[in-house]
Amino acid sequence: MKVTVFDLVGANCVTYGDGQKVYDLVHPELQRARAVELDFAGVRVLVSLFLNAAIGRLLEDIAADELNRLLVISNLPPGGLETLKRVIENSDDFYHNPQVREALDRILAEHTAEV
Amino acid sequence: MVPEFGGIPTGLPHVSLPQEGLGYYNRIFDMWRRVNAAGNRIVFDFSQCTFLGQNGVAFLGGLARWFERRGGEVAFDWDSLRGNVRMNLAQNGFLSSFEGGVDPWEGNSIPYREDPKLDKDALVDYLANKWLGRDWVHLSDGLRYAVAGKVCEIYVNAFEHSDSRVGVFSCGQHYPNMKMVRLTAVDFGVGIPGNVRLFAGDENIQASSAMKWAFQRGTTTRPGSSGGGVGLDLLKELVRLNEGALQVFSHEGYAVLLSQSERYAARPQYFDGTMVTITLRCDEKYYRLMNERDDEPLF
Repeated sequence: MKVTVFDLVGANCVTYGDGQKVYDLVHPELQRARAVELDFAGVRVLVSLFLNAAIGRLLEDIAADELNRLLVISNLPPGGLETLKRVIENSDDFYHNPQVREALDRILAEHTAEV
Repeated sequence: MVPEFGGIPTGLPHVSLPQEGLGYYNRIFDMWRRVNAAGNRIVFDFSQCTFLGQNGVAFLGGLARWFERRGGEVAFDWDSLRGNVRMNLAQNGFLSSFEGGVDPWEGNSIPYREDPKLDKDALVDYLANKWLGRDWVHLSDGLRYAVAGKVCEIYVNAFEHSDSRVGVFSCGQHYPNMKMVRLTAVDFGVGIPGNVRLFAGDENIQASSAMKWAFQRGTTTRPGSSGGGVGLDLLKELVRLNEGALQVFSHEGYAVLLSQSERYAARPQYFDGTMVTITLRCDEKYYRLMNERDDEPLF
């Protein structure tokens, strides 16, 4: 399946709701081990919240190897790949490395203890 | 002297716009305290105001709308405006937003803007064309929209987390002598420390600690979060590469992020909300994209 993001949400991919639209199309296909192309031609702006909703969440229940095999992402706008890589790295930590979150939460715990 | 204004009698509580200089921010935020403590009507008096930067303009507009949203009536003592301040407020469209009459014009001001709700296309147009797209820095379309997308993270955060009932207020300014362009976005929502304390279930968390936590990659207070917390990190990266600055006031917390340093502190003046100011250099050599290698597996 090919999903043209511009047709679905327009040139500016900003909100969580926009990302949800993409996720709702892509996620069932990938769960059935079907190949998907996400084409970003015509997209100008990619915000991390959108990418988190559309792509980052896929890591919750689909293995990274499967995603590398099945999901093709094309025509990202300038700067888009950097943002996407950050989102994927962050999602991977969120779902699979709880010690990262624990380390962050210690920032709060330590400073609360000082009060 | 307070003029008659829309049937509002004289002798109302006055809130003076501050002079610039030391303590400017304290006095800006002190306006919130005084407006919050006022009754149903208030007059903003400009007689002490010798300069109002883009941060003061965005804050004042938002404060007025916030007061109106509470059912209050706002008056501005336009006669107390000094010439240079009046010129600035006319140019950036603040006057036309509250008084009507004078249409804004292009100069070094970037328009005053009110976003009661997130209109993504209008916002991207504002950032890419009215803020960055002027002739003070020449960027390719791709790079301009890439930077606009990162600055969009400020607004997305505000709409996602602040619960601001009046939305977000913006204003920008080009400083040709410093070769810099600034943008301020203000909301009157629950604030970063408030959100973090609520999320952690601990009201004793210091504002500076809450701010520091919020600026780490991977932290988010989004309910039932499925990751997130990348946006502020992307902004930090933009500021680092550009050798610009990111300054955030929220509740009694303060964060300033520069190219080589980050500082989180508490401040004496509290206000309910968040003010973010981003400063970028107007020199093409400070704008570049990270090396985007696409020959590696994405996941």
